[in-house]
Amino acid sequence: MTVRRGFAVFLLRRLLQTIPLVVGIVTLTFLLIHAEPGDPVYLMAGDGGDESYYRTMRARYGLDRPIAEQYVHYIRSVSTGDFGFSYAYQQPVFAIIRDRLPATLLLSGSAFVLASIVGVLLGIAGAAAPDSWPDVAIRVITSILYSAPVFWIGQLLLLAFAVALPIFPVGGMRSLRESTTAAGAGDLLWHLVLPAVSLTLSFLALTARVTRATVSAERRREYMRAARARGRSPAAALIRHAVPNALLPVITVTGYHMGMLVTGAGLTETVFGWPGLGQLLLDASNGRDYPLIIAILLTTSFVVVGANVVTDVLYSALDPRVEW
Amino acid sequence: MTAARATLVAVAAAAAFAACRQPAPPGTLIVAQGNDPGSFNPAITTSGNVHPVTDQIFNGLVGLDEQMNSIPELAESWTVGDEGRTYTFRLRRDVVWHDGQPFTSADVKFTFDEALLKYHSRTRAALQAVLERIETPDAHTAVFYFRQPYGPLLQRLDVVEASIIPKHLFEGRDVLSAPANLSPIGTGPFRFVKYEKGLFVELARNPRYFRAGIPKVDRLVFRVLPSALTAVMALERGEVDYVPSVPGADLSRLQTMPAITVARSAGGSGGSFCQDVLIPNVTRPPFASRDVRRAFYMALDRRFIVDRVYFGQGTPSTGPISRKLAWAYSSDVATYPHDLPAAERLLDAAGFGRKQNRVRFAVTFTHPTGQARLGQVMREQLKQIGVDLTLESLDFNASVEKTFVKKAFDLGYASFCNGSDPEIGVRRVYVSSNIGPVPFSNGAGYRNHEVDGLFDRAAALLDRPARAQIYATLQRLLTEDVPYFWIIDSDGARAFRSTFTGFRLWSGAFAETVERAGRP
Repeated sequence: MTVRRGFAVFLLRRLLQTIPLVVGIVTLTFLLIHAEPGDPVYLMAGDGGDESYYRTMRARYGLDRPIAEQYVHYIRSVSTGDFGFSYAYQQPVFAIIRDRLPATLLLSGSAFVLASIVGVLLGIAGAAAPDSWPDVAIRVITSILYSAPVFWIGQLLLLAFAVALPIFPVGGMRSLRESTTAAGAGDLLWHLVLPAVSLTLSFLALTARVTRATVSAERRREYMRAARARGRSPAAALIRHAVPNALLPVITVTGYHMGMLVTGAGLTETVFGWPGLGQLLLDASNGRDYPLIIAILLTTSFVVVGANVVTDVLYSALDPRVEW
Repeated sequence: MTAARATLVAVAAAAAFAACRQPAPPGTLIVAQGNDPGSFNPAITTSGNVHPVTDQIFNGLVGLDEQMNSIPELAESWTVGDEGRTYTFRLRRDVVWHDGQPFTSADVKFTFDEALLKYHSRTRAALQAVLERIETPDAHTAVFYFRQPYGPLLQRLDVVEASIIPKHLFEGRDVLSAPANLSPIGTGPFRFVKYEKGLFVELARNPRYFRAGIPKVDRLVFRVLPSALTAVMALERGEVDYVPSVPGADLSRLQTMPAITVARSAGGSGGSFCQDVLIPNVTRPPFASRDVRRAFYMALDRRFIVDRVYFGQGTPSTGPISRKLAWAYSSDVATYPHDLPAAERLLDAAGFGRKQNRVRFAVTFTHPTGQARLGQVMREQLKQIGVDLTLESLDFNASVEKTFVKKAFDLGYASFCNGSDPEIGVRRVYVSSNIGPVPFSNGAGYRNHEVDGLFDRAAALLDRPARAQIYATLQRLLTEDVPYFWIIDSDGARAFRSTFTGFRLWSGAFAETVERAGRP
């Protein structure tokens, strides 16, 4: 009962914390993007336009008002749930984000699951036999993967597995040749493989290295010797005792890096033509589509906050010492 | 079943699914599209993200052939009266909108009055001041009345510059946010079917298209692929059939592939007859000096730049009009061959001798990130005459603002498209009335009253040879002054699967006549 109440208080506290977060993000982003040179009307105008055209368009979108006035107007709209109107899409930004968020969640989520499963397994394998050749190989490969830029990995994967060995499709989310209607989960999964692998690799490397380090540390603890003394086999002692304890920092690291996956998806999405939020953010930044930029950053912040809450919950579930 | 096993089974099933996919049915053309279009109203934007799609859905009053001659489109004929002050267009009677409503002169008047002259940046800038009114004496006649003789009108009525939109779907609504912008209804060869943001736009053949027998493909799909490299790979794999812009580094490889055809064109939705140009700030030293500009131009090895930076996708420019705009181009101009000793002599004489550190002067090159390679090559070339070039790489939007709006630059960059008539895309760069805080205007700040007067005279004439003569004089004058450094007359490579033929590469409506190669 106390646990449940404690949890409710924790959630409520977390929700309340998001209010200053939202105000902070909106304010900071608003100030930063307006401090940056550029103007949304440039994209609308293309390579034409005279002074009267620019005046008309700026007035229409309120861009000719003082920044402070624009800010107050925007905060007022946001407080009523209106996140504004995209200049490029000529639609409410909410509708655009609603259409693009699922693709990013699918890509980032798949990359997260892949990284968590494979990364943890590799880390345990490395820690189980320190300095053996598999351990050295895992360490070297994960070092390379962690430092390789995600767009470069993506292009290499495309060249290898879509062009040289034509196994996977080059990009997009589904085949468009016969029909543009969604062909089903198989087709989607088929298009997901390369972008998800590309996005996951550096994250997977991080997970593997953290897991290896923490499992190695746990293996040297007294309770492991005690377990062995009680007759546990080395493997059983590792799996039953060391790994659960070692996973706590791993969960912390992976949970708090969820934001990296969501924002890092932008480059992967561009390389693979994956229609998610990251690609949308790049387009919006290039076009100075202010309302869309702020709304995307807010959305990703919420995803990151959500991931952190889940991390905290998992943490307490795995570690009875943690209280709400 | 464990998660890992479930994943394995799913991957195997997907592999089997992919393996038994059918070959492409005839009649679907998939086009790589670099940016998500967002919305689909061609009369309120010149955006290169929107027009490649909408130019297949809509029509202009007048089309353009490969030599940029006017040909009938929604207007079947026209007469010009009052020495170029009145244009009377007779409209086709057999045109219907994709929703079945008849197309009439009311659509033409509405489009110009409520959309093009308000929100289409180029058409507004060009016509708002000179076009007095449009009248519609009957449902199939539209008359344009000008305040003064206006020669180039017919060149700016094509689908790129003046798409006609349906009055019945926009009247009484805000044309910038009307629902029809997301489900466009046109008169063109293809009708809109479906759009999924960031993924694709699907169009289908318009069976009631007024030009008999076309289009010949049943479906036209624009697939959003932001990375040009990925688009080329998708072309090689047969996932897309047409790539409108090929990265230079991929050209030679694609040209060796029999399954792929590489073609060149200086036209299309993105702008016709474009030139990449360096913009010196002529309002302050060192580029205020004409001799410095001449020396600078001579120090640039443009042949090398065209070959190595642009991978041969064009020809070194000789002046302010692209040689691809053949009727207006003149080769009788002042030339500045690559000549380092001559450049050094000019700079010495202009008072910009080498200082102790061997540097004559330093300038900053403000450019979009895409032109970084151009900047690096130029820096090496200019070092040889003692000019120290600092590179300032900004994103496109910021570099436009710094160069054209804030004018806080020494040397800038732009791709200026001439358009089908110098009046469309050349005049704006050189006339002194267009020096203002406006992107793609006279960014150099160049003033020459003789040049201003010649552009005005050319615009008021109807006779093309007479206009060409004036433009020849202008080209001579401008090359003597060198207010800009013209680098390349672009001739962009497009690539398509060899199973298709009939692309109208010079036109916005590039897919209108595409068909399967070898089909009877």
